[in-house]
Amino acid sequence: MPISAIEIDNLSVALGGHKILSGLDLRLFPGQKTTLVGRSGCGKSTLLRCLLGFVAPKAGTIHIFGRELTSGSVWQLRTRMAYVPQEPELAPGQVRELLERPFTFHNNRHLRDNLSRVPALMERLHLHEKLLEQQVAALSGGEKQRITLLSALLLDREILLLDEASSALDRTAKLAVIDLLKERAALTVLSVSHDQEWIGFSDDLVDLTRPQEKGSA
Amino acid sequence: MTIIDISSWRLAASYLLLAVPLGIMLWLRLPMLSQALIAVVRMTLQLLFIGFYLQFVFDLNSLWVTGAWGLVMIVVADVSIARGCGLRMRRLGGGLFLALLAGTVVPLLFFVLLVVQGPAALDAQYVIPICGMILGNCLRADIVGIRTFYQSLWNNEKAYLLTLAQGASLKEALLPFIREAWQTALAPTVASIATIGLVSLPGMMTGVILGGGNPMTAIKYQIAIMIAIFAGTAMTVILAIWLTAFNNFTPRGTLDRDLFAAGRP
Repeated sequence: MPISAIEIDNLSVALGGHKILSGLDLRLFPGQKTTLVGRSGCGKSTLLRCLLGFVAPKAGTIHIFGRELTSGSVWQLRTRMAYVPQEPELAPGQVRELLERPFTFHNNRHLRDNLSRVPALMERLHLHEKLLEQQVAALSGGEKQRITLLSALLLDREILLLDEASSALDRTAKLAVIDLLKERAALTVLSVSHDQEWIGFSDDLVDLTRPQEKGSA
Repeated sequence: MTIIDISSWRLAASYLLLAVPLGIMLWLRLPMLSQALIAVVRMTLQLLFIGFYLQFVFDLNSLWVTGAWGLVMIVVADVSIARGCGLRMRRLGGGLFLALLAGTVVPLLFFVLLVVQGPAALDAQYVIPICGMILGNCLRADIVGIRTFYQSLWNNEKAYLLTLAQGASLKEALLPFIREAWQTALAPTVASIATIGLVSLPGMMTGVILGGGNPMTAIKYQIAIMIAIFAGTAMTVILAIWLTAFNNFTPRGTLDRDLFAAGRP
């Protein structure tokens, strides 16, 4: 049996005294594309934040490629994941600076050459290269989402976590994103979406409103 | 040349000037009249107490008493910064105390031992006023620096978390917030250095001139104290942010909300 990219066992999360997730089991194999669905507040975004270590679980375990996610390991495990949040809030400055900044971090310096892929990826995402000189504050919601996705793809991570990453995209841009992700067979994608075309591209669908069974994904 | 003393009656006469601000408050019907009166009474009592106390400390001229007084001043500054920023003392106190101590003591010793020099350099008469000037500026800078740092993190939490998700270490993710806070806290000091003498005659210079010193001596003291204040504020703000950050982020790098006394900034 191959090692799971993500393995979640009996995960329970409470925020501000409210139970958000209870006894969740989920397993994603490398390359698997899974979409999380469920009613608002059922814990879809919280689960992604849990995987990144931003929310500490009340009970249960998370393993990323066989390594348990703990306060000690989370810093290393984050370098195996990339994240596109819902309505990304980006640091001020030019788009070019925004894309370059992650490569100034010690963990990503060896990937700096990946910046040469920016023009090709921009074209694939229907973004004009002139946008690089633009201020982040002047970007539209859809442009922000695509730039954040582009930044995530440049990091060459094994797992991509997308939180409603197509919510501000028109259909053409959304299909371009889907095509780009389909091409990356080895990339494990865990996304949150209510969009039918997005759901259609996924290998699996997990409804967090319903009780989960181990290996359901 | 000796300083002209002010008699109690003439000092009491200076309170007549209060008629101007109090009159404006009454005319505009501002609800700050009692607040302003309490502030004036507090100022008078505090300064009277300090006047008597300083007279006693100067007469005693013991380095231990002077040092103990300096520590009391730092603790009071520590508490007022935490309160002023709406942050919990137990989450901020220790680191902030060390930051204030370093930001005050290092430039103070530099000033008295290297600039003033001489056998009287460590006299309470020099140490306490200079300590007070440096500490007062450190307090103001720390309030701005700490408040800007934690407020900005709160307001831009999503951008901060995205940076962590991109593989940044805690230090790398905090660096833009530290830059912003440090710059905001130091801006008033830099501006006052740039305009000193043109826009206002600073306190220390005025004090030396009133005390009978010649303007050139006053200017030399003023230049040295401005540099000491600049160094002290620069040091205390960076240390205050770093030393309090140790205590207020979870091991996973998220901001610990227990820091905020009201649950939020």
